[in-house]
Amino acid sequence: MRSAIQAACCRKKRGGWDFESAGVIEAEHSVLVCVDIDTVWRYVKDMQRWAALMPGYRECMVIDANDSRWTLKVGVGGLVRTVKVLVHVDEWREPACVRFSYGLEGDPVQGGGSYAALRKGGAETEVVLRVTVAGSGPMAPMWEAMSRPLLPKLAKSFAEKLKAEIESAPAGSPIWKPI
Amino acid sequence: MLRNLPANWDLETGLVAIGSGIGGLSSAITAHDHGTSGLVLERSDQVGGVTALSMGEVWVAGNHHAAALGLEDSAESGFRYLKRLAMGYGNDLAILNIVVHARHALRYFEDRIGLKMEVIRDCPDYYYRATNDGVAEGRMLEVVPFPGAALGDWQSKTRLSPQMPYGLTHHDMFARGGVANLMKWDFALMGERLSKDERCLGPGLAAYFVKGVLDRGVPLLTGASAEELIGDGERIVGVRAKKDGKDLFVRADRGVVIAASSYERNQDYNKTLSQQLELGSMVFSTVDGSNFRLAAPFGARTARVPDITSLGFNVAGEEDEEGKPLWRSALPVIGQPHTIVVNRKGKRFGNEAFYRSFYYTIDIIDGGNQTHPNFPCWAIIDSQVREKYPFGPITPGQDWPEGLGAVAGSISELAGKIGIDAKQLEATIAAFNSHAEKGEDPDFGRGTHPWSVWMCGDPFHKPNPNLGSLVKPPFYAVELKRMGGTAIPSTGLLTDHHSRVMGWDDKPIAGLYAAGNSAARMETGAVMQSGMSNARGMTQGWLAARHAVGNPSGLLPEEARRLGL
Repeated sequence: MRSAIQAACCRKKRGGWDFESAGVIEAEHSVLVCVDIDTVWRYVKDMQRWAALMPGYRECMVIDANDSRWTLKVGVGGLVRTVKVLVHVDEWREPACVRFSYGLEGDPVQGGGSYAALRKGGAETEVVLRVTVAGSGPMAPMWEAMSRPLLPKLAKSFAEKLKAEIESAPAGSPIWKPI
Repeated sequence: MLRNLPANWDLETGLVAIGSGIGGLSSAITAHDHGTSGLVLERSDQVGGVTALSMGEVWVAGNHHAAALGLEDSAESGFRYLKRLAMGYGNDLAILNIVVHARHALRYFEDRIGLKMEVIRDCPDYYYRATNDGVAEGRMLEVVPFPGAALGDWQSKTRLSPQMPYGLTHHDMFARGGVANLMKWDFALMGERLSKDERCLGPGLAAYFVKGVLDRGVPLLTGASAEELIGDGERIVGVRAKKDGKDLFVRADRGVVIAASSYERNQDYNKTLSQQLELGSMVFSTVDGSNFRLAAPFGARTARVPDITSLGFNVAGEEDEEGKPLWRSALPVIGQPHTIVVNRKGKRFGNEAFYRSFYYTIDIIDGGNQTHPNFPCWAIIDSQVREKYPFGPITPGQDWPEGLGAVAGSISELAGKIGIDAKQLEATIAAFNSHAEKGEDPDFGRGTHPWSVWMCGDPFHKPNPNLGSLVKPPFYAVELKRMGGTAIPSTGLLTDHHSRVMGWDDKPIAGLYAAGNSAARMETGAVMQSGMSNARGMTQGWLAARHAVGNPSGLLPEEARRLGL
């Protein structure tokens, strides 16, 4: 079920997304970050930081302002697989919304997602991360089956790490320092 | 006997199991249920052992599940079947011992720990039709999916397999055409099982036994490496283990069961005990021959049976949990249609769809020129495979990974890229194709074993599920590397019918037992049958504990007399 915050974010500009497609697996996770929305935005506006929060992060190569190539080690069962992910930001809407899409290099797997933020009082921000994945080609159902248990864990891990990273920065410190 | 008692014991228990695969866990459970405390030492951080890496098959002749389905079988028939496979390299009493006890051990664990097993329908013995005692189905069992959440805190510490599709049962896979027909599998079901962590195959089998130990409150110590057995001059009375860098002396009043698998990750042992060179391995690094190092100071006898060298390959970017390149077995792919394996002369050299025949040819030595004529070797496939079948982890529609072998538009170009004789490879493929179209392989009889169809054939492919021509470019060649047989060893500790480890004086070493792949395969001899490793682990662990607690089985002498052995 998509949250109201996410729905608001996605309604503004749907772009090439199709959340209702058959076979698309999606996961959503929300966290309450104890800093104001502008501070959160200063952190998330750098896509390199997103990559660094991903489980199994190895490397992020920035291609341009909206495109990057992430190298991740993904664990499935006892298997650890290195995947390269091309990430494109479809929309930056300061300070409340980011929409992105991605594809795996060499594997018929694509997806998208969004970051949505909502002011909650003076110094709190609710952040909702949503991510979708879909396979393509003859083995699409297999890729989706393998993604199904991973995606909720990924969304949760990412959102929790994002919260921890932002909140752990000392008051007044430049949390957007280069990584 | 060695007397190396410590000044003090850190822990005292009845029976110590070294290893947390099915052999160690079954012994700890059995000891507990006979009123004796137990403890399991596991060297790695995860429990479940090699059992959890397996397909989870358990071969039990004359079992009650088959009987309930009306499938005719008997222990005698199972004995004759294994005796034929052993080719005289096994021991008749060892064969009979496993056959007569496996079905009782199965019942025992079903009753005691809630183990749920069922017949893998339509799964034949390897040698069904080759011998009257092979069956079309009934002996190969697998678990009903196990709910991983039932393991509680041990859920994430109970091993999963990086290679096996443990979200599906054998039945789920093979009812839809088997491994070759991956595209037809029910992935919605697989996704649901993976999401709920419902474990099938080896991970499921191991999980049932881990749960059995947890339910009994038997301590499972992970990261605890058994370093040395302790003797009091007359019997084995304990173990010195290392945990967190410190010695831990564990007294075992009733005995110690070595169930620490074999030595596949020890290249020195592979060479000197199995005569196998530089093996890749699908198992984890603690499978390094600790069974021998522990038992040798007490005069334990080893025994060896003939063995095969398996074949496998790596795909860039895939690793196991220890960060080592992940090994993929060639077994499920080289017997698919439109696939052959050739040596450096560009010639086929066996029935690729029946590994228990084919893999004996890998290490043949040509003494005339000091070479292995069939190694190195390459799997050759055409684009029909890429369109229809998986090749290891590479599925139809997926890009061919960079660096995995060679790709070419013609057979001669492919031969040039891998450095083998182009004209001979063309001739080999032309001959194979002409016969394959008729569903025949006059050279090696590929496609004649029902098990080949089940394991690596495409039952929807006509006229023969294991034979299809290589005609559609581009063509692919993947060099296959030597690989171990997932810790099923040629050499192990020699045990008697109570799983007691024997000394070179032909007397059992009091207080010392071995189960599963730590023990010599005297019940299989020359040729292995799938499902035997898990069956012997379960059965030998059960027998060891029964003897250790003073309730040894008396079934073997009765059955031996009945059969006139």
